Amino acid sequence: MAGLAATFGRGVMTNHWIDYKNSDVIVAVGANPAENHPMAMKWIDRAREERGAKLIVIDPKFNRTAALADIYLPIRPGTDIAFWGGIINYALANEKYFKEYVAAYTNASFLVDPGFKFEDGLFSGATPGPDGQVKYDTKTWQFQKDEKGAFKLDPTFQDPQCVLQLMKKHYARYTPKMVSDTCGMTEADFLKVAELYCSTGRPDKAGNILYAMGITQSSHGSQNVRSIAITQLLLGNIGIAGGGVNAQRGESNVQGSTDMAMLFGNLPGYLPYPTAGAHPTLAKYNETTPKAGFWTNRPKFLASMLKAWWGAEATKANDFRYEWLPKLDARDHSHMSLFESMAQGELKGLFAWGQNVAVGGPNVDRERKALGKLEWLVAVDLFDTETASFWRRPGVNPADIKTEVFLLPAAASFEKEGTVANSGRWIQYRWKAVEPLGDAKDDLLIADQLYKALRDLYAKDGGVFADPIVKLNWNYGDHPDVAKVALEINGYTSADGKPIPMFSALKDDGTTACGNWIFSGYWADMEKPMAKSRIKEAPGGLGLNPQWSWAWPANRRITYNRPSADPSGKPWDPKRALVSWDGAKWNNADVPDFGWKDAATGAMIPPATSANAPFIMNAEGKGLLFSPSAMKDGPLPEHYEPVESPTTNRLNKRQFNPVATISGKGEFGQLAAVGDTKFPYICTTYRLTEHWQSGAMTRNTPWLGELMPDMFVEISESLAAKIGIKSGDQVTVSTLRGEVTAPAMVSPRMKPVTVHGVVTEVVGMPWHWGYRGMFTGDSANLLTPHVGDANTNIPEYKAFLCNLVKAGATGPVRR
Amino acid sequence: MGKGMLIDLTKCMGCRGCQVACKQWNNLQAVPTEFNAEFTNPPVRSAYTWTTIDFLITEVDGKTVSTFTKQQCMHCEHPACESVCIAAAIKKTKAGPVTIDYDKCIGCRYCQVACPFGVPKYQFDKATPKMQKCTMCADRIEAGMETACAATCPSGAIKFGERADLLKMARERIAKGNGKYIDHIYGEEEAGGTAVLYLSGVPLDLTKLKQGVTEEEVPNFTWKAMRQLPALLGVVGLSSLGLMAYSSRRNAVAAAEEGARSGAGAGKHPSKGGKHHD
Ligand code: SF4
Ligand code: SF4
Ligand code: SF4
Repeated sequence: MAGLAATFGRGVMTNHWIDYKNSDVIVAVGANPAENHPMAMKWIDRAREERGAKLIVIDPKFNRTAALADIYLPIRPGTDIAFWGGIINYALANEKYFKEYVAAYTNASFLVDPGFKFEDGLFSGATPGPDGQVKYDTKTWQFQKDEKGAFKLDPTFQDPQCVLQLMKKHYARYTPKMVSDTCGMTEADFLKVAELYCSTGRPDKAGNILYAMGITQSSHGSQNVRSIAITQLLLGNIGIAGGGVNAQRGESNVQGSTDMAMLFGNLPGYLPYPTAGAHPTLAKYNETTPKAGFWTNRPKFLASMLKAWWGAEATKANDFRYEWLPKLDARDHSHMSLFESMAQGELKGLFAWGQNVAVGGPNVDRERKALGKLEWLVAVDLFDTETASFWRRPGVNPADIKTEVFLLPAAASFEKEGTVANSGRWIQYRWKAVEPLGDAKDDLLIADQLYKALRDLYAKDGGVFADPIVKLNWNYGDHPDVAKVALEINGYTSADGKPIPMFSALKDDGTTACGNWIFSGYWADMEKPMAKSRIKEAPGGLGLNPQWSWAWPANRRITYNRPSADPSGKPWDPKRALVSWDGAKWNNADVPDFGWKDAATGAMIPPATSANAPFIMNAEGKGLLFSPSAMKDGPLPEHYEPVESPTTNRLNKRQFNPVATISGKGEFGQLAAVGDTKFPYICTTYRLTEHWQSGAMTRNTPWLGELMPDMFVEISESLAAKIGIKSGDQVTVSTLRGEVTAPAMVSPRMKPVTVHGVVTEVVGMPWHWGYRGMFTGDSANLLTPHVGDANTNIPEYKAFLCNLVKAGATGPVRR
Repeated sequence: MGKGMLIDLTKCMGCRGCQVACKQWNNLQAVPTEFNAEFTNPPVRSAYTWTTIDFLITEVDGKTVSTFTKQQCMHCEHPACESVCIAAAIKKTKAGPVTIDYDKCIGCRYCQVACPFGVPKYQFDKATPKMQKCTMCADRIEAGMETACAATCPSGAIKFGERADLLKMARERIAKGNGKYIDHIYGEEEAGGTAVLYLSGVPLDLTKLKQGVTEEEVPNFTWKAMRQLPALLGVVGLSSLGLMAYSSRRNAVAAAEEGARSGAGAGKHPSKGGKHHD
């Protein structure tokens, strides 16, 4: 999501599922919708049936989506930037990009600091750290400004320091030959895809790129996303129906949970989390407010959030109790780092709430061991998971583990009510269908009881810094009322507790309270909240369905929709008009994502104003081909090899992402060297239709288990011939981290890739299994490395090195 | 004409939602399975698995091809199973489904032998076994609903409706498909016409649909074929069919099956209970 925010301003799927029906060319890259997002196929099929749309699948294995594709293009795991860099080069060199769009709506004409350089695999501003990785100072990545502080532009695109020229130079190295040698695809196949996809770089065509974990789970995952986002800007595919960068989330409510601050660096609504050192006071925090764009409103959002948290206690005079808000230290608190700290005995307890880390975590055997360093562990789940039972996993003696473990039975989604935000940002209410079984409780009740018990303990016994907890504004009833929580998230006026209509009503004077500004509007009507609305759009439309639930922000279905029209406000393609200016007023099919009407007077704002700054969340107002500040690892995506790779990097002198998180801490630090002959094969992990994530639910469902009962390892016919096995024979796959034994699936779905002239085998394996439940087997994450993306720390689950040998036996391996 | 289903194999993505929906609606237990490198699982249809997606993964001219074929009862317009059913348990209903009346079924397995698709399956684990197969969700149709598998199918590969309308839709898809489909509606003529129809984008030998099925109405010659049966069953003559002893059925029928079973015939004995392993 970091790559999207750094380009367009928000880290979200730009369009939505139903909008796929409006696409002309669809690329599924690092995404496998047929298996992991089956409903997507309904709309892809609609596009193919009704508009003759083409589907291109780019993936290391010929998956079930590839089975339906017009073109299947194999790719070596972890080389997506080489591929998209090649596409960017192809579009620029052959002038296939949408020139008017690029000129008007991107920062192509901006002049970059004369000190900006890319040399020996590093951007300017690098300072090496003790581990050889670097940290960037982004000073030389900034845009030049004139005396008045305005950005310097070259509308002729000739200046060598303008973004377009810098990009041409940067990507000139990404020739079809280089792409083919790096990615393991033929030049002819690459060019076929380049030509077909770049055919969407015109006003009347829409190209849609779908991605998922195959793109993000990489040491350069955020830059993978950036390379896709840049491609879409060049082709004019952002803000239009049928276009977009469509991040398909890995779970039904990932969007909702990140919106609600699941990530450690965020407060709700993506307000940056304050750190103790830099932001000791509210004034200090607010000094970091962006100077232009929509984020100038940030102080209102934070003040309203604090007001929601501490109610009457929070006043303007006491900075809304900013001092009660916990602050971050300067450390990374993402998953891998937490487990490294846990292994060092630095963590006392852990809530694994709907999380099965003992299957899902990278280098998982060591993470399982780290759990044993905890004093206590609370697992909240539907079933006894591998995490809840880590103390009795195969090979350990329970008596050796001192951790006290609690398993709280949780209600399933059909046994509770509340909202879920899908990938397309729709916040939909789900009603309870059945009562929970046994002692299972819904999460809201568990959280409520937990809080109340803590509050009472603090009130009774006191404790360090008790006020923030004891005085929390927490009043949702004995059995907490979902509607009351929803009202708080939506926001209300402090005086009367009435819902506010939208975030534009939020103030920084304490008169409004709001738990999450981006959700403002989803519960603006207590009787008939939009989240419960279920009115389908009449057939024949673009599928915006504005009255079916509510989409953040502001019920906008396609974000950044100003660029769907030309600068004068005329839709590039009248058949997919989202907003259009008729000379006197805007006619809107979707909620405009720009200033179109003066809020105070109601007067229309003519198109010239918004044409200049169509990406309202960016301070530059433009789509950022060149992203000057938001990325930790460079303003332009550059190919680096996965941290474990069979080959040297031929595009530059750095082997892997110089800013990637590489675990240095002893027991998590095993990494194979480049081209290590002991681990000659590339390994990649993936998911299957039949199972869900760590399998906690699906491996306890007989009807799903019978479809996919056992862990397996997928290999090519050539690798099978080489080691002398056939389908069903057991193989042992090993990395420096561990080993997995499972039956082999030998099929033409998996083929070796030719990497710089060397034929290299690819081994694939699903990661759904573990040692608990009805269907057991080895976890693929016994093999995966503790390295992560430079911006998000998402582990590199998709590309690492392994060995594979015949195990001697045949049939399933159950644990 | 009655209801039917049009299964468009070019849209099926092998998600097997239909397979699970069928078990759920019809209360069919899970059966023990193990890893199958072809993905098809359970590997064969049985009394507890009325429909499966049969996977085919192969190579044609160096290119990988993978297809998914949904298989279940075809609900023939003139069902051979009905014509041989000595207990008159099987009926082609006006609504379209071919149903088995469990109160009447004596588990003689003639229908299985007669069926050109080998569909009806035997309850090996029951004291008084009945024949089992896809009912086209007759109970749902009666309630004005579509079949469970069609309702579940995310991609729209299964369309439920009047067979006549589905035939029309199929012809339109072929006509407008720009070469996307082979020019054949499977089930239009096969076995004299079936309520379940298929469209394919690849030659049928790249699907798991049974080929070489006669286009004649099967009952026309079923009795000819059935005359072989008594010998197979070790029973003396047609007249004694009705008196077949329940007690000797298991052995006799197992022998018959060996003789009559085609590739997609009855499989391993499903055992009781949904639990996979202890
Ligand atoms: S497919 Fe077989 S079981 Fe089904 S109706 Fe036809 S003959 Fe009867
Ligand atoms: S029609 Fe009903 S019984 Fe037949 S396969 Fe579909 S769900 Fe099962
Ligand atoms: S539900 Fe539909 S798409 Fe999925 S396997 Fe069945 S027929 Fe195919």
